[in-house]
Amino acid sequence: MQNNQKKNLWSFNFSTMALVLIPVSIGINYVGKLFAQTLRLPLWLDSIGTILAGILAGPWVGAISGGINNAIYGLTISPVSFAYGITSIAIGITAGVMARMGFVKSMKRAVIMGLVIAGISTVVSTPINIIFWGGQTGNIWGDALFGILRSANWPVWLASGLDELAVDLPDKIATTIIAFIIYQGLPKRITVLFEES
Amino acid sequence: MRSLSLYVKRDSLIHKIDPFTKIIYVFVSVISPFILPTLIFSTSLTLINLLFLLLGRVVKKVLPIISFVFIIILTIFIIQGMFYDANQTELFSLFNLNFYVEGILYAARISVRAINVLLAFSLLILTTPPTEMIESLVRRGMPAKLGYIMHSVLQIIPMMSSNASIIMDAQRARGMETEGSLWVRIKAFIPLIGPLVMSSLVNTHERSIALEVRGFSAATQKTFLHQEKVPGGMKQLRIFFLLFLAAVLAWRLVL
Amino acid sequence: MKKITINNLSYKYSLAENKALNNISLEVEKGDFIGVVGPNKAGKSTLCKSLVGLIPHFYKGEFEGEILIDNLNTLNSSIAELSLKVGLVFQNPFNQISGAKLSVYDELAFGLENNGLGREEMITRIDKYLNLMDLNEVKDNNPFELSGGQMQKLAIASIMALKPDVFVLDEPTSQLDPQGTEEVFKAVSRLREENLTVILVSQKLNKLADYANKILFLNQGEIAAYDNTAAVFSRNDLEQMGMGAPIYTEIARELGLKNEKNQYPIRKSELKEMLVAKYGKNIG
Repeated sequence: MQNNQKKNLWSFNFSTMALVLIPVSIGINYVGKLFAQTLRLPLWLDSIGTILAGILAGPWVGAISGGINNAIYGLTISPVSFAYGITSIAIGITAGVMARMGFVKSMKRAVIMGLVIAGISTVVSTPINIIFWGGQTGNIWGDALFGILRSANWPVWLASGLDELAVDLPDKIATTIIAFIIYQGLPKRITVLFEES
Repeated sequence: MRSLSLYVKRDSLIHKIDPFTKIIYVFVSVISPFILPTLIFSTSLTLINLLFLLLGRVVKKVLPIISFVFIIILTIFIIQGMFYDANQTELFSLFNLNFYVEGILYAARISVRAINVLLAFSLLILTTPPTEMIESLVRRGMPAKLGYIMHSVLQIIPMMSSNASIIMDAQRARGMETEGSLWVRIKAFIPLIGPLVMSSLVNTHERSIALEVRGFSAATQKTFLHQEKVPGGMKQLRIFFLLFLAAVLAWRLVL
Repeated sequence: MKKITINNLSYKYSLAENKALNNISLEVEKGDFIGVVGPNKAGKSTLCKSLVGLIPHFYKGEFEGEILIDNLNTLNSSIAELSLKVGLVFQNPFNQISGAKLSVYDELAFGLENNGLGREEMITRIDKYLNLMDLNEVKDNNPFELSGGQMQKLAIASIMALKPDVFVLDEPTSQLDPQGTEEVFKAVSRLREENLTVILVSQKLNKLADYANKILFLNQGEIAAYDNTAAVFSRNDLEQMGMGAPIYTEIARELGLKNEKNQYPIRKSELKEMLVAKYGKNIG
């Protein structure tokens, strides 16, 4: 009984493996952030798990991982993160789609994937920043840039977008590279279970 | 080990209200000021939330939750006060920097709205055990598997962070440098997170099997060990909240 | 009465080069306690996973032949349906905790809720198996805070609460300390008292000799021996096949002590009896 069906990219029927992966990926997001704080890195590194979930089990699982990640944060640590759930969902979807397009085959491609994820994250976060905080991100360096650009009469959306991008670009590229390294290190017998189910 | 939660056990009126009613309340309270963005309206809703937090005897617990937004709110007042597009009327001047009425009012509007969101959610989070909140949603049609994921996250985060500190200590004991230049600290990241992530990803395999053999994918309608306690009058209360939201919408459309 | 019938079962995992199971056929009677032994890669775990339907429903790969539990073909039933007939407990106790429940008591309800049992019935069953597995004292604890042995007993109780007729245990003590091992074997003896059909994979031959009425010896995916416990352990070619025997059997073999069936004793009590019979009471 050979199972040769090619997995549909957008298949909405989750396997138990995929479901169990979601809480684990949210835990990974959490410890990523924790280690980044402990090591005092100038990055968040809080979406490694969401990107891994997308790579391993596809865009839907990536999206759910991102969405629930922020919902749980919202319910337990900081309610604001609810609003940024949309950003996390977009990151998970992008990682899932790009992984299926072959962007986890080499480090070079993974860096490109990181660039795209940073761009998408910026585009999605900026309107939320504007609605919620009048355009700021809460990151000192990014907000300094925002202040300078606004004083020079740049439009809010552009100043806010650059504020977000200044923060996202290094963070999301680093995050994607880390997720890629971990993915490469996983035993094949495990990754195949995600792919075939 | 404890589960991830900010729930504070108290004997109060707010604690007795069932999770679903509170969820509806939070939804209405959070979304209304976005529909009707006037300062007076958001301020009244914020005061109502503060009153409920008092009734729930959890006001002190709110402070750490909202303290982190004070800095950002301060910078919102500074930046918008100086650079808001509609700035016209000068309010005051500080070290040659001009602050305007329009910008300050705009900053006040978004700040109060943000604080309102935080207070409304805090009310829910501080007075409702997360497991009861999730279960009340599953009872009302949220997929049980989504419920499983959320329950599981609440357990996995404290577990993984305690494992994280064990690994941190172990690696330090083996001489790993976790202090020093940025490059040294960056290099420490992968050896720290790698083993933890690998083992938890590999464990997903056996955990899935364990769930499967306990009927996780059963087509049967799921049942609940615990019964839900809903005090009388809650149905009316829920309808009242939704009518309020409808009124806000109507107000906005008419004006 | 036949409980399990396996006909020409073969299975190859995706990515694997060799078959994990190769043309296995055997029958298990209701109430049998089968001890399964064999070296690494013998196919023991694969057999366990096949009995509960994880193969072919969870693991894709090449599946041939059939397994019938009573008259239910595992190929045509879902894992969830099968979980009410065949239960599985495996090595790592930690990974068998659902992760969704905050207390031992609630953890026991997990499988019952999934299967849609009524509340009263759930409570009755939970109380029964909490007692049977000596978990009453820890019923309010977080499942992850239990000792390894307690966690494994919780896994066993959670499966028992589903009331399967067949209980499959895949090396349930291999990751436990001696005390945990002892606790789990005590729990296994309770299974026998409940009159279940049990399939137990274990390297602890002395324990198997105590409990199992039959031994299935697998080697490289094939059946090397399947017979009554004493008959298998009395074989002269055990060493060539890479297998040992219980300590009392080894002693009897050294002494050349065989019983009337021309078999070596497998348990302490039997060996003692035969020694007394041969050398007189003083030796005991």
